[in-house]
Amino acid sequence: MAEAGEIASPAILQKRLKRSPRAVEAETNESILSPRFRSAAAMAGWDEEALLFATQVVEDTPVRESTRRRRSVNQLKSSTSSSSNRKLRSRRQPVDPIPVVVLCLDDEEDGSSHQEIEMEGKRSEGFAPNEEKKGNIGGGEETLAKINYKEGLPCMDRLREELSCAICLEICYEPSTTPCGHSFCKKCLKCAADKCGKKCPKCRQLISNARSCTVNTVLWNTIQLLFPNEVEPRKKAAIESSLREEVSTQGLELERLRRHRRSRTLHSSTSSFRSAMEVLRTVGGDRNTVRRLNPSQSEDAALALRLQREEFLETFSSGQQRNSLYTTRARLRSMALGVNRMRNRS
Amino acid sequence: MSLAYSGGGGGGGGGGGGGGGSGVRPWPSTASVSSSGKRIQKEMMELNADPPSDCSAGPKGDNLYHWISTIIGPPGSPYEGGIFFLDITFPGDYPFKPPKVVFKTRIYHCNVDSNGNVSVDILKDGWSPALTISKVLLAIKSMFTNPDPYNPLMSNIACLYETDRAKHDQIAAEFTMRFAR
Repeated sequence: MAEAGEIASPAILQKRLKRSPRAVEAETNESILSPRFRSAAAMAGWDEEALLFATQVVEDTPVRESTRRRRSVNQLKSSTSSSSNRKLRSRRQPVDPIPVVVLCLDDEEDGSSHQEIEMEGKRSEGFAPNEEKKGNIGGGEETLAKINYKEGLPCMDRLREELSCAICLEICYEPSTTPCGHSFCKKCLKCAADKCGKKCPKCRQLISNARSCTVNTVLWNTIQLLFPNEVEPRKKAAIESSLREEVSTQGLELERLRRHRRSRTLHSSTSSFRSAMEVLRTVGGDRNTVRRLNPSQSEDAALALRLQREEFLETFSSGQQRNSLYTTRARLRSMALGVNRMRNRS
Repeated sequence: MSLAYSGGGGGGGGGGGGGGGSGVRPWPSTASVSSSGKRIQKEMMELNADPPSDCSAGPKGDNLYHWISTIIGPPGSPYEGGIFFLDITFPGDYPFKPPKVVFKTRIYHCNVDSNGNVSVDILKDGWSPALTISKVLLAIKSMFTNPDPYNPLMSNIACLYETDRAKHDQIAAEFTMRFAR
């Protein structure tokens, strides 16, 4: 209905209404409404009043004057007409803004297509509509990319700020997230928990298990992807330091083994066969513990064990020899004693 | 970074408790130089890039751990127009222990004693490694406009502040005129 109403040109209507509303009312009914609209209204069962009101509603001026007029008309009209007014208005409202919006969209599309044409080396405008659409989309993406590139630096700065650890003020390295949702470097958080108590450095909420904090994998991966230039050197440094630590611990372990071995060889050289057996048994136990060590340490440990075993075998065999010598000597002595006794008797 | 701390309030005081209890060394051990030094350097850069209003801070000489700072007395307070110098000393394990802040300019304030020591919660028990020197300076600046007479270092000034605000302000303004210009 509203579309039909628009046929009656609003400009003329407005002018006439402005002249003298009362006098114009009848006139508008006869002259302004097109016969087609009249017939349509008759089909819809509108009465004269509703028709008249339709003409007034159609005029498109949000000026105070017209609203005042509408209000006065509303007061004069019966309830049925006012309900039709509501109906009309509700129908008109969605119709009204649409053209504006469409225009806006057109403008934007025009603009983007212009940009696209400028950027892509002036394509000819005689494209099929489909192709043009594709071009438009591509152009839109490119402009987006361009904007991102332009705003890239502040955006990265903001990300850097957002993803940096409040304790060391650098990009979070192996970020760990507290139960209250704040993220810090794992190391920094541990340090803070050790030295400042188990409170979140940002909001002071209690952290129950700061010592066993885990790395927030998603965040860590994101940081690695976003700031590889800053993370990589730190990673390398961390690996180097950890290697150095490992080497030093290995050295300590070897030293310990050597000292242990020395003391044991001393012990076993003086001990009897049984103690040697005992030592061998403890070595067996040792081997088990060695197996539990790091795989990188196992080579050294295996070498040390082999050396140890050989040494023990040596001492063991030598102990046996000495033992046999001792027993033979004892046997000889007892034999000699026996001989002596026999001599005495005889 | 929105740090909302419940400004001292409760048992705050703890007066004697360790402002500089961290054993301030001029050059900390090699292990902590890297982390604390890096952090201080970062803060210096941030301060240079975006200094808080009416404040400035920077290393005194070539020692990164000794800073000097100035705060301009905020307008509307009896300290208006004064320039107050502060010494800042960073401990070796800096972000984990608070910096030590001392007023070098004499000031009539219930939270600053005659030696220039400051009693601000965040420089003592309320310290958090997420705080920076610019936040500390902001806290001191807000201390100018809002003295805390309930945790005073100078009880007589706090008393006067409570009983005769006008006189307190007058004396503070006189001190500012005499020492801070």
